[in-house]
Amino acid sequence: MSEAETVTIESVEEFLVHAMELEEASYEHYEELADTMEVHNNLEVAELFRKLANYSRLHAEEVHQRAANLALPTITPWDFKWKCPSAPEAFCMDDADYLMSSTKAMEIALFNEIRGRDFYQQVADNSSSEAVKKLALEMVEEENWHVEMLREWQASMQEEQPQEDLDPPNMPE
Amino acid sequence: MTVPALKAKDYKSGIKAVWCPGCGHFAVLSALTKAMAHLGLVKEEVAVVSGIGCSSRLPAYIDTYGFHGIHGRALAAASGLKAARPDLTVIVAGGDGDGFSIGGNHFLHACRRNMNMAYIVMDNEVYGMTKGQASPTTLPDWSNSKMTPHGTGIPSFNPAAIALAAGAGFIARGFSGEPSELTRILVEAIEHSGFAFVQVLSGCVTYRPDQKLWKEEVHPSESDLPTDDPVKAAQIIQAGDGKATGVIYAKQFPVWQPENRMDSNLNTIEKEFLL
Ligand SMILES: Cc1ncc(C[n+]2csc(CCOP(=O)(O)OP(=O)(O)O)c2C)c(N)n1
Ligand code: SF4
Repeated sequence: MSEAETVTIESVEEFLVHAMELEEASYEHYEELADTMEVHNNLEVAELFRKLANYSRLHAEEVHQRAANLALPTITPWDFKWKCPSAPEAFCMDDADYLMSSTKAMEIALFNEIRGRDFYQQVADNSSSEAVKKLALEMVEEENWHVEMLREWQASMQEEQPQEDLDPPNMPE
Repeated sequence: MTVPALKAKDYKSGIKAVWCPGCGHFAVLSALTKAMAHLGLVKEEVAVVSGIGCSSRLPAYIDTYGFHGIHGRALAAASGLKAARPDLTVIVAGGDGDGFSIGGNHFLHACRRNMNMAYIVMDNEVYGMTKGQASPTTLPDWSNSKMTPHGTGIPSFNPAAIALAAGAGFIARGFSGEPSELTRILVEAIEHSGFAFVQVLSGCVTYRPDQKLWKEEVHPSESDLPTDDPVKAAQIIQAGDGKATGVIYAKQFPVWQPENRMDSNLNTIEKEFLL
């Protein structure tokens, strides 16, 4: 979907399928980041991503509960209505680095959470269905809470110096 | 009893990937498992075959049959498998080094042989696994390797053009930074009857950090594609900047599948090997 198009979701069912995909992708993305940090022995950052994954899992479960008993449509993986190339909270992996600090990891997390919130906000702004607007705004509120929480967490962190790479890529300077 | 539909994550093996955080190959794994879920593939009817390289680790991370073969021989192993088991969905994966350097000859003949399989090349224009040497798709002036400090000076290989000239019936280009579109391309490649070649621009964050710029450079193809006209496809491929994504060419050719000798058993095969 191009940047110029507006996100319009007009049914609660369609909205919930988007929310489910967004939250599950977020969970899987954080899990993947946690796993890869573990593989590279950056255990502190791995633990941070594991915690974030857990929040996303709980969020996904909540959406599942809301969707119980509804007949949900099937959306093909490339027909989701977000403007970014993948689910909003599972984006921008190439900023990751195996030596990254917790503060850097938190930057990635904040970037993701803000994208998620913006997606829900766009749905609320553009839907003509009151029920969809209401649900989307509830999600915005939850995501806002997430963003605030991450900001506080980030503020409580010590600014860390990037670690020295003892096995750098074999490239000429 | 109805079996619940599998989700993309059900196709992952649970083995933790050893790729560098940020490697484009993660997105290819994710897009491929999404494509498998979308197509509802039965796990035990799929085999993912690869060679050697970071990209070639893919079969280990997928919960279907898999074969992590030897360098450059992914297509040879996959062709043998498809000849013996035409019922399997065969997906072949690897890197630009594996597929175009050491495996270049197999690539040419797999294109013209046109067996029913999809071939995904995760192209990062470098040998990632062996610490960053130039590959056939590396531009001639890339000088960031100690092996080629002044660049290779050799024009790079255009995979889509070679595939077309060698007779492939399905040619596409995807990008790891556009995983949803990549999923659609992979679905079409797997559904194509015959040899389907997908070049995926999949950046190596470690040895080619410059590829982070691909996010700005890669763009959807502007031409009205796919075409089934090889001349038009050749013009588009040659005139392009190598960064346009989408299915470029799709044409149906007779699929080559040797007659399956169901009368063979291990004893008769062993006898044939005795001199
Ligand atoms: C016969 C043989 N020759 C050379 C090698 C060394 N080797 C391992 S992987 C590789 C190249 C990998 O590059 P590519 O296929 O582009 O994959 P990437 O790691 O970039 O994903 C080479 C040359 C080998 N394993 N076997
Ligand atoms: S070396 Fe490059 S290709 Fe290999 S895992 Fe790391 S980023 Fe990926």
